[in-house]
Amino acid sequence: MKGHERETISTDTAPLKSPVVMSVALHLLIVGIALAGWSWTSPISEPEPRTISARLVSPEPRPSPVVDEQDQRDREQERRQQQEREHQQQEAERRRQQEEQARREAERQAQEQARQREEERKRQEAQARERAEQQAREQEAARQRAEAEAKERERQRAEEERRRQEEAKRKAEEEKRRQEERRRQEEAERKRQEEAARQEAERKRQEAERRLREQQLEALAEESRREREAEARRQQEAAAARAREAQMLSESEKYQALIRERLSQAWYPPSSATEDMSARVQITLLPTGELVNARLVSSSGNTAFDNSALGAVRSLSRYPIPSDRDTFERYFRQFTIEFNPQRLR
Amino acid sequence: MNAHDSHRQGFSFTTALAALVVLMLLASQARAELLIRITEGADSAIPIAVVPFAESGAMPAGDRVSSIVQADLTMSGEFRPLEPSRMLSLPSQRSEVYFRDWRLLGQRYVLVGQLTRSGDRIEARYELFDVNREERILGETAGAPASNVRTLAHHISDRVYEAITGDPGVFSTKLAYVTVTGDGDNARYRLHVSDVDGKRSRIRLESREPILSPAWSPDGKQLAYVSFETGKPVVFTHELASGERKKVADFPGLNSAPAWSPDGKSMLLTLSKDGNAEIYRLDIASGNLTRMTNHWAIDTEGAWDHTGRGIYFTSDRSGGPQIYHMERAGAEPRRITFGSRYNARPRPDGKGEYVYYVHQRDRAFHIARTNLKNGEESVITRTESDESPSVSPNGRLLIYATQQNGTSVLTVVSANGGAAYSLPASDGDVREPAWGPIVR
Repeated sequence: MKGHERETISTDTAPLKSPVVMSVALHLLIVGIALAGWSWTSPISEPEPRTISARLVSPEPRPSPVVDEQDQRDREQERRQQQEREHQQQEAERRRQQEEQARREAERQAQEQARQREEERKRQEAQARERAEQQAREQEAARQRAEAEAKERERQRAEEERRRQEEAKRKAEEEKRRQEERRRQEEAERKRQEEAARQEAERKRQEAERRLREQQLEALAEESRREREAEARRQQEAAAARAREAQMLSESEKYQALIRERLSQAWYPPSSATEDMSARVQITLLPTGELVNARLVSSSGNTAFDNSALGAVRSLSRYPIPSDRDTFERYFRQFTIEFNPQRLR
Repeated sequence: MNAHDSHRQGFSFTTALAALVVLMLLASQARAELLIRITEGADSAIPIAVVPFAESGAMPAGDRVSSIVQADLTMSGEFRPLEPSRMLSLPSQRSEVYFRDWRLLGQRYVLVGQLTRSGDRIEARYELFDVNREERILGETAGAPASNVRTLAHHISDRVYEAITGDPGVFSTKLAYVTVTGDGDNARYRLHVSDVDGKRSRIRLESREPILSPAWSPDGKQLAYVSFETGKPVVFTHELASGERKKVADFPGLNSAPAWSPDGKSMLLTLSKDGNAEIYRLDIASGNLTRMTNHWAIDTEGAWDHTGRGIYFTSDRSGGPQIYHMERAGAEPRRITFGSRYNARPRPDGKGEYVYYVHQRDRAFHIARTNLKNGEESVITRTESDESPSVSPNGRLLIYATQQNGTSVLTVVSANGGAAYSLPASDGDVREPAWGPIVR
């Protein structure tokens, strides 16, 4: 690991050498140009030697290509130039002046170039900045675009969703409407059938009423006929009943006398009885004359007397009663016996 | 008036209509329901089956308890006990009683019981059933010393009698009477006390001279009587338990007819100490006399009425002996008897309903009674030469002395004259019976 790290560091260091050197050189150059430029721009106080020292530095990169080109052209023209050497001396002076001129021109040009380069650099920096900005803008644009696109996708998705929902809703509504429609139709069908049934029932009812009216009329007629007959029969029966009543009464009296006689024989008034004592016993008989029940309904106030009355009533194994059922029911089904001694021994 | 009111009125009208209909129905039913009035009862005595009691352990010799009960009920004249030989079964407790059988035999009541000897005592468990109502109307346990089975039997008779008739029974009461044997110098007068059926008689006093008019104190512990033992009539009281006697009236002349007052503190006496026989009231404790009657005629045989204030007595103030009633001391006497020339020795029934007396008719002497409410007189006895009536304390029986085959005997009759029962004959004449009180 350590070896790898070290390796990584060494590889990092190696490429740094040349940019540092280049940077130092570039800075030196820039400082030199700046100094030259600065002294140019303020020539009033700047001494001359300063220009020479700058000359040492400056011609190297610039004259070499020029020299190359001059040599080649000089060799071709060697002899003609030799002849004119004197002339050329003068010429040289003038050329030196020219060269001075040229040098100043070159200096100016160099400055101009430096300025242009600076401008170029600035321009490039500006351009770089512009590019960076452009890039940033582009990134921003891309981001915004991406964002917009995301939004757009979202929107589309939402839109899609909305549409789907709307579609579903629409379909549901559609379904509902269809069902509603079906229901309405069924309802209408049902109503129609009901109406038909009602009409049928109404028809039947009217029919039944009609029949009932007819029957009632018949019944009324029948009833009045029966009533007339019944009235006649009632009158006959009333006459018969009166006769029967009289007969029953006489029959009843006969059996009352028999019962009185039997009970008188069966009753042993106790010695404590007095003539003002009276006890009532209600008895219930079967149509055979057998006693079903005997109940003291009114006490004499004397237990022995009450018991003697109850004993007498119960002592008869069979009461003498009329064989006629109606007379029995009328008088002897249930009756009361009063025990009241009128003649004590 | 609003609609609601008119509706209510309509409703009440309907209700009233309905009620009217118901009432008419009820009325017609009520009219239809027969009422049969029974005003007379059977002329005969009540049929009762006194079933011989079952016995466990040694029973004393002599009459069976159930036989004594049967005889008692017969003597009362109100019962007609069934002969045991006619009974279909001899039950001794409820589970053995078949009412149908007894109804077939015409019986109204069945008395069953069991006797158990335990030491010197006899215990009786007995039950009385109403045959027609099929109900037990009496169930009891009673005991007595083995030597006193008659006491036990009379007690059962009393309970049975009361359960059926509603009146107290008198079978446990005592009789006092006088017998006479011999005549002239050999005559012996004896005062007896016995059961009402004449059994267990004991002589309380024996004398050569006549003993008359025994009378019971209300508590049944003493007798008063007239004894001639001193040569003249003197009234004695005699404590039965101790035999102690006291001379309570020994006035000059006649001392007779003692009658205890209901409170036992005084007695009526007939004295002639003032010249004429009059009735006096003797205060026993002090010996003070109060004159009750004052008339030139004979007034005698006083007897207290049921109120304890008035007296009945015999007086000949109308020319012959008649019965009079005096409501209280000093009141004007009212004549009770009119039917014949001779009515004497009044004995009221203790209820204020009847007074009994000796009544002469067609030369014969009978016992008669007068209904105090309506004055109606009826002759009770069919025998002749009847005398000395004495009414049982419940007013249902009467004992008197009469002549039978030449000797005098005691006879018990129903107070209404329905049945007669002669006490067993004893030696000689029996006379002057006095019925003792009910001692609770």
